Amino acid sequence: MDITGADLVRAAALLGAGIAMGFGAIGPGIGEGFAAGKACEGIARAPEHANLLTRTMLVGQAVSESTGIYALVVALLLIFVV
Amino acid sequence: MEEILSIPHWVVTVDGRTVTLNAATLAMSWLVMVLLLVVGVWAARRPGLVPSPFQAAVESVIEAFRDLVDESLGKLGPRYFAFIATLFLFILVSNWIGVVPLLQEPTRDLNTTLGLGLIGFVVAHVTALRVKGWKAYAKEYFQPFFFMFPLNVIGELAKVVSISFRLYGNIMGGAIIIAVVSRLVHYVLLPPFLYAFFGLFVGTVQAFVFAMLTLTYISVAIQE
Repeated sequence: MDITGADLVRAAALLGAGIAMGFGAIGPGIGEGFAAGKACEGIARAPEHANLLTRTMLVGQAVSESTGIYALVVALLLIFVV
Repeated sequence: MEEILSIPHWVVTVDGRTVTLNAATLAMSWLVMVLLLVVGVWAARRPGLVPSPFQAAVESVIEAFRDLVDESLGKLGPRYFAFIATLFLFILVSNWIGVVPLLQEPTRDLNTTLGLGLIGFVVAHVTALRVKGWKAYAKEYFQPFFFMFPLNVIGELAKVVSISFRLYGNIMGGAIIIAVVSRLVHYVLLPPFLYAFFGLFVGTVQAFVFAMLTLTYISVAIQE
């Protein structure tokens, strides 16, 4: 079986998708964990504000998740479009 | 795998130009709108001082949102409450509809989320123009220095891209993970839990986040 240029491009695209997703997930993981930890601290200190803290935490986590989502979109493009 | 990303197309030719319509997205969007309308009419059918359980549930959702909007927009709150609540409910039902077999989320299509993001963008900027006047509005773009103008413009446009890609990526990624993992386990045991997490939980969080971010953009735009 011959390996053609197209095969190499496909292999590189799949490898790139994996690398993009793997490295792209580091940042959001750290960021969201940090936000959740700080929210836990806040709730422990002021349990009466738990609702507000949870809401703010979710919005902040979703914002910090966006880089991970960009990585996902890039990975999808690499897998399905390239 | 290919069937996940493919969207049924209608290609319509008008005066020699071809227009591509995403049939599934259109149909599902209309289905979501009809569902919301039915729920709304049903909840308000016989409004009583002692509400029925269904009416009470719908009212509690609406009231929670009114408080949220009033909290962050102040006296402008009542004007934008309907817009924010509509965004939330539409995206929520759009995300949940994917749990039903044979139906797919309209938010799985980037066109839908980009449209919703653009609506929020236009509303925020028109509000800023109305509240501040065009002079103060234009001045914002030259803060803190004169040559920061291009950066501020890009920053505003990036908001639309980030908010729409976030919703699209979450829903599309969830759908792909559900499809791949379901196939891996031969559709045994796991799929209902996957649907519960990626469809219901992530769908709710993302709908809430989308509405909250639009609200934040509006409230940032009207701040002095």
